[in-house]
Amino acid sequence: MTASASRPDRFKVFRAELGRALVALAMALAVAFLIILGTSADPWQAFSTLVTSPLSSNRTIGLWVDDVAKLTLTGIAFSLVFQARQFALGVQGQVYLGGLCATLVAMSPIGTTFAAIPLAIIAAMIAGAAYGFIPGYAKARFGASEIVSSLMLNYIAILVVNYMVRAHLAPPNTGQLMTARFPETAVFPAIIPGTRFDLGIVIALVTVAIVWFALYRTAWGLKLRLVGHNPRFAEYAGIKANFIMVSAMTAAGAVGGLLGAVFVQGRAFGQLAIDFDGNLAFEGILVAIVARNRPLAVPFVALAYGYLRQGAQLMGFRSDVPSEMIAVVQALVILLVASSFTLPGRRFIARLLGRGEADPSTAAGGSR
Amino acid sequence: MPPLLQAESITRIYPGGTVANDGVSLSVGAGEIHAVVGENGAGKSTLMKILFGLEQPDAGQLRLEGKPIAFANPREAIDAGIGMVFQHFSLVPSFTVYENVALGSEPRSGIRFDREKAIAQVRALSDQFKLRVDPLARVSNLPVGQQQRVEILKALYRDARILILDEPTAVLAPQEVEELFVAIRALVAQGRTVIFIAHKLPEVLAISDRITVMRAGRTVGEVATSEVTEKELATLMVGREVSLGVERSQSDGGRACEIDTVSIQSEAGVSLATDLSLNVYAGEVVGLVGVEGNGQAELLEAVAGLRSVTSGEIRLKGENIVPLGVLDRRGRGVASIPEDRLAEGLAPGATVAENLVATRLGDPRFVRRGVLDLKAIRANAIALIDRFSIRVGGPAFAVGTLSGGNMQKVVVARELAEQPELLLVNQPTRGVDLGATQFIWASITRARDAGAAVLLSSADLSELLALSDRLVVFYRGRIVAAFINSGDLSAETLGAFMLGLETQDETTMKAALR
Repeated sequence: MTASASRPDRFKVFRAELGRALVALAMALAVAFLIILGTSADPWQAFSTLVTSPLSSNRTIGLWVDDVAKLTLTGIAFSLVFQARQFALGVQGQVYLGGLCATLVAMSPIGTTFAAIPLAIIAAMIAGAAYGFIPGYAKARFGASEIVSSLMLNYIAILVVNYMVRAHLAPPNTGQLMTARFPETAVFPAIIPGTRFDLGIVIALVTVAIVWFALYRTAWGLKLRLVGHNPRFAEYAGIKANFIMVSAMTAAGAVGGLLGAVFVQGRAFGQLAIDFDGNLAFEGILVAIVARNRPLAVPFVALAYGYLRQGAQLMGFRSDVPSEMIAVVQALVILLVASSFTLPGRRFIARLLGRGEADPSTAAGGSR
Repeated sequence: MPPLLQAESITRIYPGGTVANDGVSLSVGAGEIHAVVGENGAGKSTLMKILFGLEQPDAGQLRLEGKPIAFANPREAIDAGIGMVFQHFSLVPSFTVYENVALGSEPRSGIRFDREKAIAQVRALSDQFKLRVDPLARVSNLPVGQQQRVEILKALYRDARILILDEPTAVLAPQEVEELFVAIRALVAQGRTVIFIAHKLPEVLAISDRITVMRAGRTVGEVATSEVTEKELATLMVGREVSLGVERSQSDGGRACEIDTVSIQSEAGVSLATDLSLNVYAGEVVGLVGVEGNGQAELLEAVAGLRSVTSGEIRLKGENIVPLGVLDRRGRGVASIPEDRLAEGLAPGATVAENLVATRLGDPRFVRRGVLDLKAIRANAIALIDRFSIRVGGPAFAVGTLSGGNMQKVVVARELAEQPELLLVNQPTRGVDLGATQFIWASITRARDAGAAVLLSSADLSELLALSDRLVVFYRGRIVAAFINSGDLSAETLGAFMLGLETQDETTMKAALR
């Protein structure tokens, strides 16, 4: 574009935000170090495991990249609803339902054909979309809080999937809490053999591109963002806010379902197990907040956060830091990084609530 | 004898670098009515917040009776005898008048709230200062003018010697303004001092003894009211000569919009407007007169498609538009400048370019097969920024980063980007300074001259009288009077109908409703 002169200084904004992210990261590491210092006999070794282990082998790099793919997808799903200012937290439920539907396709006769991967993905996305649609419709139609309904739907999905696995899908009389491995045709091919570096990361990056395009290059995306910025204005401008809201939650649901397919069909699993997401689906909230709901920033945040996440897990295996402390460190990282960022629009809400008390810092510009 | 209250070279710089006050000085003598005037953003509110302890100056000194003083918070200012009545009241609606007045400083007998004593005190105060209000009335049942009196009583109850009134007349009908002035004069007669913030100059000239003029964060003059004219004041305020005269419309087109026995109910089923009938012709401005909450705003919303009507028809060029949605109405030439332009007319986080096309996302010039034509959207923004001289770095800047006046311009630019058939305007100049007022008035009259029918609602009667060709008065959701705007129609006449004190006979009204 030739318009760079008339644009806000994006580079400056980018630098400022990057600076904040790095400060938060440094603080998180400092606190982590203190905790390790208090709980480990060899704190230096434990800390260096935290910071360097994800790069220690091809296998660990694969673990990291696999996390990045999944964190990107959940971050994208949350960004989409957050941009429409809907606090739907249903990604986890969509992941489980999507995973279940992908499994049903993979374990059916189709699973052994070349159509296994695409059909399983499509089934997962449809299931996720439907599951995202429910809280949206309930809000538009009955005014039900999407926060509550999406959270409750998460529990239903997790428990239903766990029951299905235990009672119907696991090989009979084995007592296993997982299905048999899918036929190789239904599992994502590895990009680097012997690692978890598989189709998942490609799917994640393509999703980023598609969602970015939808948000910033289509009328639907502009409407969605306008609804998110100011729903009253959207109504006034003739945008059907309810339709946009429901469609945003449905689209995010499709991404959530897709993540379910990436979970069960990825090389990490290749099967459906109970409680398979390890709460990763929820961490998309953090990724979305730090990325300020911007799709193009999501993979980078996922890269950094996934690294720390993997480092903490490896530290749990390889050092004497107790596993509870690993969880504490992870929670602190989330807390510190998230608290240095806020959801967008806080100032705007404050202005709506306290309006009239003309804020002199904005009014002073007046029309001098 | 030193002045009662002095502010000496007060400077206040907000975080972010906005200089709200830059060496401001104010000197208020005991027993005077001192007006502080200036455009929005001139720094009046900041200065008052400093006087009331809500903000601390970065430099400068306050003096009370010549002694240096500093207020860390409003409590200290109140203890020093300073009271402030804000434009937006802070009353508990479900409490009675005396409860609100005494709240926080209740008279006690033992540990009990001595209600009898509080009622008696409030009654005495209200008699003493001619602030008529029933101490036992519930605040939520009181009209705005009386709520304001409760606020003033609150300050007096706490022994305020100096009373700061922040734009007290903005919310009042003319008769109520007159009553407020009577009370202010009674206050001063009994030794109190009043600081009066305003930007309606005729009122300032009518009530004050001395006037301090602020512009762009500085004091630009202090004058005795008797020695200054309105024009001189306006020139001081704006820094250049202003003329707010408006040419009446010349053209007389066909009937553009017919509102036919329209009734409106709230979602809870409360009737907001009943049997409204009026016509608007192309090329004329019809002013909707009334105290706020009498159905004018609701009618504008109903015409725009933001509120459903329970019965009746709204016809645009003969076509009933009631069944149509907002977008279809806009497509047929309805444009609307909403009252709260920042809260309702803009998405502050979105860019200027996006805000400027937000109402035209069905237009194939900007959206083809669901995909935005960024080039066309950008070109549209550049053209409108130029045509309406919006001060902004470029189309890609977020609207929220613009100054207030320029945000207003973005709304006007979007609504008037294409010549509307019917233009709806609600409170065009509320919270807007003189320069922006001129701009908005000029935009409305330009649209009118190009053939738009304009429905205008405003709380400012002088604005309605200046702009309207015909005026329709609303009272309790009904049209109670209509006038053709001739030179001899006065705000007082309208005020009597607005408050329901007078009624107009059917034939006169029919004639003026055309």
